[in-house]
Amino acid sequence: MIKQQIVPIVLTIVSVVIIYLALQLDLSPPMIVGDSMQPRAFPIFLMALNLLLTAILAYQIFKTPPKKPEPMNRVTWLSMVLMVLFYGLTVSTDMFIAIAVVMFLLSLAWGERRLLIAAANAVLTPFLIFLLFDNVLRIRFPRGILMNWYYG
Amino acid sequence: MYEALSALGSVVLDPYLLFLIFATTIIGIVIGVLPGLGATTGAALLLPFTLTMDPVHAIAVLATIYVSATFAGSITAILINTPGTSAAAATTFDGFPLAQRGEAGRALGIAVIASTFGGIVSVIVLCFAAPLLARVAYEFRPPEYFALTIFGLSMLASISAGGAVKNLIGGVFGVWLSTIGAERVTAIERFMFGNYELYEGLSFVPVMIGLFAMSELLVQSKMANQAVEYIKMKAVQLPSREDYKKIWKTVLRSSGIGTFIGILPAEGATVASMIGYSEAKRWSKNKEEFGKGSIEGIAGAESANNAATGGAMVPTMVLGIPGSGTTAIILVGLMVHGLRPGPYLFNEQVTAVYQIFGSMFVANVMFLLMGLYAAKVFARISLVPAAILWPIVFALSVIGAYALNSSMLDIWIVLIFGVIGFLARRFGFAVAPIAVGLILGKMVEVNLQNSLKIFSGEWWQIFTQPLAVFFLVLAFLGLCGPQLFRLATRGSFEAKDGKSD
Repeated sequence: MIKQQIVPIVLTIVSVVIIYLALQLDLSPPMIVGDSMQPRAFPIFLMALNLLLTAILAYQIFKTPPKKPEPMNRVTWLSMVLMVLFYGLTVSTDMFIAIAVVMFLLSLAWGERRLLIAAANAVLTPFLIFLLFDNVLRIRFPRGILMNWYYG
Repeated sequence: MYEALSALGSVVLDPYLLFLIFATTIIGIVIGVLPGLGATTGAALLLPFTLTMDPVHAIAVLATIYVSATFAGSITAILINTPGTSAAAATTFDGFPLAQRGEAGRALGIAVIASTFGGIVSVIVLCFAAPLLARVAYEFRPPEYFALTIFGLSMLASISAGGAVKNLIGGVFGVWLSTIGAERVTAIERFMFGNYELYEGLSFVPVMIGLFAMSELLVQSKMANQAVEYIKMKAVQLPSREDYKKIWKTVLRSSGIGTFIGILPAEGATVASMIGYSEAKRWSKNKEEFGKGSIEGIAGAESANNAATGGAMVPTMVLGIPGSGTTAIILVGLMVHGLRPGPYLFNEQVTAVYQIFGSMFVANVMFLLMGLYAAKVFARISLVPAAILWPIVFALSVIGAYALNSSMLDIWIVLIFGVIGFLARRFGFAVAPIAVGLILGKMVEVNLQNSLKIFSGEWWQIFTQPLAVFFLVLAFLGLCGPQLFRLATRGSFEAKDGKSD
C-alpha cells in the first residue's frame, strides 16, 4: 500500500517542505508591495495546488493501482554513479579530464568492448568540442590541470 | 504583405543563412534518425552553439532542427520499426509493414512528400495567422495575459504522455521553479539557499538540457544492448500517379488537422500525427489496408506531424506560449537572443519574424531533397552503437550548458535535472510540462501582480474582463470538460437504462 503511494508521499513531503521554506521568507513592507502580493504568497499557493492535485493522484492510484515500474538495471545505476564521478573529477582535476574519463567509462558500461574505439571517442569528442567552443564561440573554460596548461 | 515577401526573399539571397539551413537540416535529420534523440533533445543540445550567431540565424537553426528532425523520425520508423521521434510513432503502423513487403523506398517516398507538403502548408498558415493573432493579442493587458497563461498551463493536462493530473503536477512544479531567485518587485530572495548565481532565477538552457537530453540518456541506458531489425532498400521512390490519387485528400486533410493541433497551446506533433492517422483511416475507402502497409496511413501521420511544426510556432511567437517541448526551447532561444516573444515582436522585429518563417519554408524544401536523395545514407546512421552515441550526448550536454553563462552551477543543474527528469519519466510523468511551466511561470506571476495593481488588490475583478473570462472558461472546460461530459452522459445512460427497466 505504502509502496504504491510512494509518488504521492514524496510529492506531499516536497510540497510541505517548500511551504515551510516559503513561510520563512521575509515579509515586504506594505508600501513596497502595495496592492500586489507578498513574495511568499505565490509559491505557497502553488504548493497548496500541488497538494490538492497530489490528493487526486493518490485517489487515482488507490482506485486503479499502476503497474510497478521495472527495477532499474545495472547500466542505469552505473550511468548515475558516473555523473557523481564527473562532479568529483571536475572539482579535483579538470572538466575535460572528467568528461573524457566519464565518456570512456560510460561507453564500457553501455557494453562497448572495443577499448580503442571507446578511448578514441572519449578523447577526440571533447577535444573537437573544445576547439569549436574555444576558437569559434570564444568560451573560456574553468581552470584545472589541462586548462591551466593551455591558458598559461 | 510586401514586407513579408521581401523578408522571405532575403532568406534565399543570404548565402550564409542558406548554408546554415543546409547544414542544420543534415544535423536535424541525423538527430531525427537516431532513436531517442528527437527534435527537442537536438534543439536543447544545439542551443548553446547558436550563442554567437545573429538572432535570426540562431532561431532559423533551431526551427530547422525542429522541422527536419520531425520528418527524419519517419526514416527509422519505416526501416527499423523504431520511431526516431515520438511524432513518428504513428508512421510505424503502416511504414514498417510496407517496408517488410519490400517497398521501403515507396514508403519513404510517401513520407517525404507528405511531410514536405504538411510543413509548407503550415508555414503558409503561420505567415497569415500569426500577424492576425498578433493584432488581437496587441490589445491584451495583464488580466488577459494572466488568463491566457492559465489556459496554456491547463492545456498541459492533455499533453500526450503521462496522465492529466500528473502533467498538471509537473506544470505546477515547473511554475514553482520559476519562483527561484530574487522576486521582481521586492527583491526578496526565494529558495536560493545563499547561492547568488541563482539571483536572476534558474537559467532555462541547463534545465532544458537536463530535462530532455540528460534524462533521455538515463532512459536509453536500459536499452543499451538492444538489437534492431534493419530493412535494406535500394533507393527512395517518388510516389506514382496512382499513389498521388490515393493520398492527396489525406495529405490535405492531415495538413489542416496538424496545423490546427499545432496551434493549440501544449499540443504537439505527436498528438497531431495520431489524429492525422486515425482520421486518414476513418475517411479511407480501404480501411482493411491500415496496419498492413497502407500508404494513406503513412501520408496521414507524416503530413500531420510536420504540419504541427508551423502551427506550434504560432502561439510561441505571437503569445510567448510554447506549443511543445521543442517550441519551449525555441522560445528560450528567442529570449536568449534578445527577441521578446509576443505581439510586439510583429511590430518591432517584423523582418526578423518573416525571415524565421522563410527559413522554415526553405528547411522544408531542403529536407525534401535530402529525404529523396540521401535517406538511405541517413538510415545507416541509426545503426551507430548507443555505447558511442550517448557518451557524445553527455559531453555535448555538459559543455553546452557551461557555455551559456560560463558557470559551473549550470553543469550541476544539468545533472540534477537529468536525474529529476529520469525519475519523473520512470513514474509516468512527462518532462515537457515541467519545461513549459518553468517558461510560463514568470508570466503567470508577473501578470497576476500587475492585474492586482490595476484592480487595487481586488483579484475577482479579473472576472469582469470578457477576454480573460473567455480564456478562463476555456481552461476550465479543458480541465473539467471531459469529466463533466462523462458525468452528463452517464446520467443520460442511467436514465435510458431506467426507462428500459
